[in-house]
Amino acid sequence: MTPVKLNDLREGSDLPGIKKDIKQERVNQYAEASGDFNPIHLDEEFARNTPAGGRIAHGMLILAYASEMMTAAFDRNWLTGGKLNVRFKIPARPGDTITVSGKVTKLEKNEENTLIYCAILCTNQDGETVITGDATVTIKN
Amino acid sequence: MPESEKLDYDQLEVGHEFPPVSYRLDKSMVEMFLEAVEEVNSLYRDMEIVPPMALAARAMAALAECVSPPPGSIHISQELEFQSAVKTGETITCVARILRKQERGKLRIMIVGLDVFNQSQEKIAAAKTSFMLPVPD
Repeated sequence: MTPVKLNDLREGSDLPGIKKDIKQERVNQYAEASGDFNPIHLDEEFARNTPAGGRIAHGMLILAYASEMMTAAFDRNWLTGGKLNVRFKIPARPGDTITVSGKVTKLEKNEENTLIYCAILCTNQDGETVITGDATVTIKN
Repeated sequence: MPESEKLDYDQLEVGHEFPPVSYRLDKSMVEMFLEAVEEVNSLYRDMEIVPPMALAARAMAALAECVSPPPGSIHISQELEFQSAVKTGETITCVARILRKQERGKLRIMIVGLDVFNQSQEKIAAAKTSFMLPVPD
Protein backbone atom coordinates (compact mmCIF):
# COMPACT_ATOMS: atom_id res chain seq x y z
CA MET A 1 0.00 0.00 0.00
CA THR A 2 1.37 3.45 -0.90
CA PRO A 3 1.54 5.95 1.96
CA VAL A 4 -0.88 8.87 1.68
CA LYS A 5 0.46 12.18 0.37
CA LEU A 6 0.41 14.93 2.97
CA ASN A 7 -0.81 17.47 0.40
CA ASP A 8 -3.79 15.24 -0.40
CA LEU A 9 -4.99 15.10 3.20
CA ARG A 10 -7.89 17.27 4.33
CA GLU A 11 -9.98 17.34 7.47
CA GLY A 12 -12.55 14.62 6.84
CA SER A 13 -10.27 12.52 4.60
CA ASP A 14 -10.68 8.77 5.10
CA LEU A 15 -7.56 6.65 5.58
CA PRO A 16 -7.40 3.41 3.56
CA GLY A 17 -9.11 0.88 5.85
CA ILE A 18 -8.28 -2.70 6.74
CA LYS A 19 -10.42 -5.82 7.16
CA LYS A 20 -9.25 -8.88 9.09
CA ASP A 21 -10.78 -12.23 9.96
CA ILE A 22 -9.97 -13.29 13.52
CA LYS A 23 -8.78 -16.89 13.63
CA GLN A 24 -7.92 -18.85 16.78
CA GLU A 25 -4.66 -19.91 15.14
CA ARG A 26 -3.62 -16.24 14.90
CA VAL A 27 -4.63 -15.64 18.52
CA ASN A 28 -2.43 -18.58 19.56
CA GLN A 29 0.47 -17.16 17.53
CA TYR A 30 -0.06 -13.73 19.10
CA ALA A 31 0.13 -15.32 22.56
CA GLU A 32 3.48 -16.90 21.62
CA ALA A 33 4.87 -13.69 20.14
CA SER A 34 3.69 -11.40 22.94
CA GLY A 35 4.14 -13.74 25.90
CA ASP A 36 0.50 -13.16 26.93
CA PHE A 37 -0.83 -16.64 27.66
CA ASN A 38 -3.93 -15.57 29.59
CA PRO A 39 -6.25 -18.61 29.24
CA ILE A 40 -9.17 -16.35 28.35
CA HIS A 41 -7.55 -16.14 24.90
CA LEU A 42 -6.50 -19.78 24.57
CA ASP A 43 -8.54 -22.20 26.69
CA GLU A 44 -12.18 -22.52 25.59
CA GLU A 45 -13.28 -24.37 28.72
CA PHE A 46 -11.72 -21.76 31.02
CA ALA A 47 -13.03 -18.86 28.93
CA ARG A 48 -16.58 -20.28 28.84
CA ASN A 49 -16.73 -19.92 32.62
CA THR A 50 -15.71 -16.24 32.63
CA PRO A 51 -17.91 -13.19 31.95
CA ALA A 52 -16.53 -13.26 28.36
CA GLY A 53 -18.39 -16.57 27.83
CA GLY A 54 -15.74 -17.93 25.47
CA ARG A 55 -12.32 -17.26 24.04
CA ILE A 56 -11.57 -13.68 23.01
CA ALA A 57 -8.73 -12.17 21.01
CA HIS A 58 -6.10 -10.07 22.76
CA GLY A 59 -7.12 -6.40 22.67
CA MET A 60 -3.56 -5.57 21.62
CA LEU A 61 -3.91 -7.90 18.62
CA ILE A 62 -6.84 -5.86 17.34
CA LEU A 63 -4.96 -2.66 18.12
CA ALA A 64 -2.10 -3.95 15.94
CA TYR A 65 -4.52 -3.76 12.98
CA ALA A 66 -5.08 -0.06 13.73
CA SER A 67 -1.32 0.43 13.85
CA GLU A 68 -1.04 -1.42 10.52
CA MET A 69 -3.46 1.05 8.97
CA MET A 70 -1.46 3.98 10.36
CA THR A 71 1.86 2.54 9.12
CA ALA A 72 0.37 1.99 5.66
CA ALA A 73 -0.84 5.60 5.60
CA PHE A 74 2.09 7.39 7.20
CA ASP A 75 5.04 5.00 6.77
CA ARG A 76 8.02 5.68 9.10
CA ASN A 77 6.39 8.82 10.50
CA TRP A 78 4.08 6.51 12.44
CA LEU A 79 7.04 4.69 13.98
CA THR A 80 8.82 7.86 15.08
CA GLY A 81 5.96 10.16 15.96
CA GLY A 82 2.75 8.18 16.34
CA LYS A 83 0.37 8.30 19.28
CA LEU A 84 -2.69 6.12 19.95
CA ASN A 85 -5.30 6.60 22.64
CA VAL A 86 -8.10 4.02 22.56
CA ARG A 87 -10.79 2.34 24.60
CA PHE A 88 -11.66 -1.35 24.30
CA LYS A 89 -15.46 -1.45 24.14
CA ILE A 90 -16.31 -5.11 23.50
CA PRO A 91 -14.05 -8.10 22.88
CA ALA A 92 -13.31 -9.52 19.44
CA ARG A 93 -13.71 -13.27 19.12
CA PRO A 94 -12.36 -15.94 16.80
CA GLY A 95 -14.75 -16.01 13.83
CA ASP A 96 -15.29 -12.24 13.90
CA THR A 97 -14.38 -10.00 10.99
CA ILE A 98 -12.88 -6.71 12.12
CA THR A 99 -12.99 -3.58 10.00
CA VAL A 100 -10.53 -0.82 10.91
CA SER A 101 -11.20 2.68 9.68
CA GLY A 102 -9.64 6.07 10.23
CA LYS A 103 -10.61 9.63 9.42
CA VAL A 104 -8.54 12.81 9.60
CA THR A 105 -10.21 15.12 12.11
CA LYS A 106 -7.71 17.97 12.25
CA LEU A 107 -4.53 19.16 10.55
CA GLU A 108 -2.24 21.51 12.44
CA LYS A 109 0.89 23.07 11.00
CA ASN A 110 3.59 24.87 12.93
CA GLU A 111 7.08 26.00 11.90
CA GLU A 112 8.63 22.57 12.35
CA ASN A 113 5.90 19.97 12.06
CA THR A 114 2.52 19.02 10.72
CA LEU A 115 0.30 17.25 13.21
CA ILE A 116 -2.39 14.97 11.82
CA TYR A 117 -5.21 14.00 14.16
CA CYS A 118 -7.31 10.97 13.24
CA ALA A 119 -10.35 9.21 14.66
CA ILE A 120 -9.88 5.44 14.84
CA LEU A 121 -12.68 2.88 14.82
CA CYS A 122 -12.62 -0.92 14.84
CA THR A 123 -15.98 -2.63 14.33
CA ASN A 124 -17.07 -6.24 14.06
CA GLN A 125 -19.22 -7.86 11.35
CA ASP A 126 -22.38 -6.73 13.20
CA GLY A 127 -21.28 -3.10 13.17
CA GLU A 128 -20.54 -3.13 16.91
CA THR A 129 -17.67 -0.96 18.11
CA VAL A 130 -14.75 -3.05 19.34
CA ILE A 131 -12.22 -0.23 19.71
CA THR A 132 -12.67 3.51 19.49
CA GLY A 133 -10.21 6.31 19.97
CA ASP A 134 -7.82 8.64 18.26
CA ALA A 135 -4.36 8.75 16.80
CA THR A 136 -1.92 11.54 16.12
CA VAL A 137 1.04 11.57 13.75
CA THR A 138 3.75 14.21 13.79
CA ILE A 139 5.48 14.78 10.45
CA LYS A 140 8.49 17.08 10.15
CA ASN A 141 7.92 19.75 7.48
CA MET B 1 9.34 -13.82 37.89
CA PRO B 2 7.63 -16.79 39.62
CA GLU B 3 3.85 -16.42 40.04
CA SER B 4 4.25 -16.47 43.84
CA GLU B 5 6.49 -13.37 43.74
CA LYS B 6 4.13 -11.28 41.64
CA LEU B 7 2.34 -8.44 43.39
CA ASP B 8 -1.43 -8.10 43.52
CA TYR B 9 -3.60 -4.98 43.62
CA ASP B 10 -3.56 -4.54 47.40
CA GLN B 11 0.23 -4.71 47.59
CA LEU B 12 0.74 -2.00 44.99
CA GLU B 13 1.06 1.67 45.92
CA VAL B 14 0.69 4.55 43.50
CA GLY B 15 4.22 5.46 42.38
CA HIS B 16 5.51 1.91 42.81
CA GLU B 17 8.12 1.21 40.14
CA PHE B 18 8.81 -2.35 39.07
CA PRO B 19 12.30 -3.64 38.36
CA PRO B 20 13.27 -3.13 34.69
CA VAL B 21 12.65 -6.07 32.37
CA SER B 22 14.79 -6.51 29.23
CA TYR B 23 14.00 -8.42 26.04
CA ARG B 24 15.97 -9.14 22.90
CA LEU B 25 13.74 -8.57 19.89
CA ASP B 26 14.92 -11.62 18.02
CA LYS B 27 13.96 -12.36 14.44
CA SER B 28 11.79 -15.37 15.27
CA MET B 29 9.69 -13.34 17.74
CA VAL B 30 9.20 -10.55 15.19
CA GLU B 31 8.32 -13.02 12.42
CA MET B 32 5.80 -14.75 14.66
CA PHE B 33 4.27 -11.36 15.55
CA LEU B 34 4.00 -10.41 11.86
CA GLU B 35 2.35 -13.74 11.08
CA ALA B 36 -0.08 -13.41 13.99
CA VAL B 37 -1.24 -9.94 12.96
CA GLU B 38 -0.95 -10.71 9.22
CA GLU B 39 1.17 -7.61 8.62
CA VAL B 40 2.90 -7.47 5.23
CA ASN B 41 4.41 -3.96 5.21
CA SER B 42 7.91 -4.10 3.69
CA LEU B 43 9.23 -1.84 6.45
CA TYR B 44 9.00 -4.86 8.72
CA ARG B 45 9.37 -7.71 6.22
CA ASP B 46 12.39 -6.44 4.29
CA MET B 47 14.00 -3.68 6.34
CA GLU B 48 13.95 -5.57 9.64
CA ILE B 49 12.31 -2.77 11.58
CA VAL B 50 10.35 -4.04 14.57
CA PRO B 51 6.63 -3.18 14.36
CA PRO B 52 5.75 -0.68 17.10
CA MET B 53 2.95 -2.92 18.32
CA ALA B 54 5.46 -5.74 18.82
CA LEU B 55 7.31 -3.37 21.15
CA ALA B 56 4.04 -2.60 22.87
CA ALA B 57 3.25 -6.30 23.20
CA ARG B 58 6.63 -6.93 24.79
CA ALA B 59 6.13 -3.99 27.16
CA MET B 60 2.82 -5.50 28.22
CA ALA B 61 4.56 -8.83 28.77
CA ALA B 62 7.03 -7.03 31.04
CA LEU B 63 4.09 -5.79 33.06
CA ALA B 64 2.59 -9.28 33.23
CA GLU B 65 5.87 -10.50 34.70
CA CYS B 66 5.44 -8.15 37.66
CA VAL B 67 1.70 -8.00 38.35
CA SER B 68 -0.79 -10.77 38.83
CA PRO B 69 -4.24 -9.38 38.00
CA PRO B 70 -7.12 -11.49 39.36
CA PRO B 71 -9.32 -13.55 37.01
CA GLY B 72 -12.00 -11.35 35.46
CA SER B 73 -9.68 -8.37 35.01
CA ILE B 74 -10.34 -6.40 31.83
CA HIS B 75 -8.01 -4.26 29.73
CA ILE B 76 -10.17 -1.15 29.23
CA SER B 77 -7.97 1.42 27.57
CA GLN B 78 -4.56 1.93 26.08
CA GLU B 79 -2.38 4.88 25.25
CA LEU B 80 0.77 4.41 23.16
CA GLU B 81 3.44 6.79 21.95
CA PHE B 82 6.17 5.75 19.51
CA GLN B 83 9.27 7.93 19.40
CA SER B 84 11.91 5.91 17.60
CA ALA B 85 12.09 2.77 15.48
CA VAL B 86 14.20 -0.22 16.52
CA LYS B 87 15.68 -2.99 14.41
CA THR B 88 15.39 -6.73 14.86
CA GLY B 89 18.08 -8.05 17.18
CA GLU B 90 18.12 -5.00 19.48
CA THR B 91 17.43 -5.29 23.18
CA ILE B 92 14.76 -3.16 24.82
CA THR B 93 14.21 -2.46 28.50
CA CYS B 94 10.74 -1.82 29.92
CA VAL B 95 10.05 0.03 33.15
CA ALA B 96 6.53 -0.02 34.61
CA ARG B 97 5.06 2.05 37.41
CA ILE B 98 1.66 2.38 39.06
CA LEU B 99 0.11 5.72 38.09
CA ARG B 100 -3.33 5.49 39.65
CA LYS B 101 -5.64 3.24 41.69
CA GLN B 102 -9.33 3.88 42.06
CA GLU B 103 -12.35 1.99 43.38
CA ARG B 104 -15.80 2.37 41.83
CA GLY B 105 -18.41 0.24 43.58
CA LYS B 106 -17.62 -3.39 42.87
CA LEU B 107 -14.77 -2.57 40.51
CA ARG B 108 -11.24 -1.34 40.85
CA ILE B 109 -9.32 0.56 38.22
CA MET B 110 -5.55 0.48 37.99
CA ILE B 111 -3.53 2.56 35.55
CA VAL B 112 0.03 1.52 34.82
CA GLY B 113 2.63 3.57 32.95
CA LEU B 114 5.31 1.89 30.86
CA ASP B 115 8.47 3.40 29.37
CA VAL B 116 10.52 1.48 26.80
CA PHE B 117 14.22 2.19 26.22
CA ASN B 118 16.62 0.97 23.55
CA GLN B 119 20.07 -0.42 24.28
CA SER B 120 21.51 3.13 24.25
CA GLN B 121 19.08 3.98 27.08
CA GLU B 122 17.09 6.30 24.80
CA LYS B 123 13.34 6.31 25.37
CA ILE B 124 11.69 4.88 22.26
CA ALA B 125 8.10 4.34 23.36
CA ALA B 126 5.69 4.96 26.21
CA ALA B 127 2.38 3.44 27.18
CA LYS B 128 -0.41 3.93 29.66
CA THR B 129 -2.59 0.89 30.32
CA SER B 130 -5.86 0.85 32.27
CA PHE B 131 -7.29 -2.30 33.81
CA MET B 132 -10.61 -2.89 35.52
CA LEU B 133 -10.30 -5.49 38.27
CA PRO B 134 -13.10 -7.20 40.20
CA VAL B 135 -13.29 -6.52 43.94
CA PRO B 136 -12.89 -9.80 45.84
CA ASP B 137 -15.98 -10.93 47.86
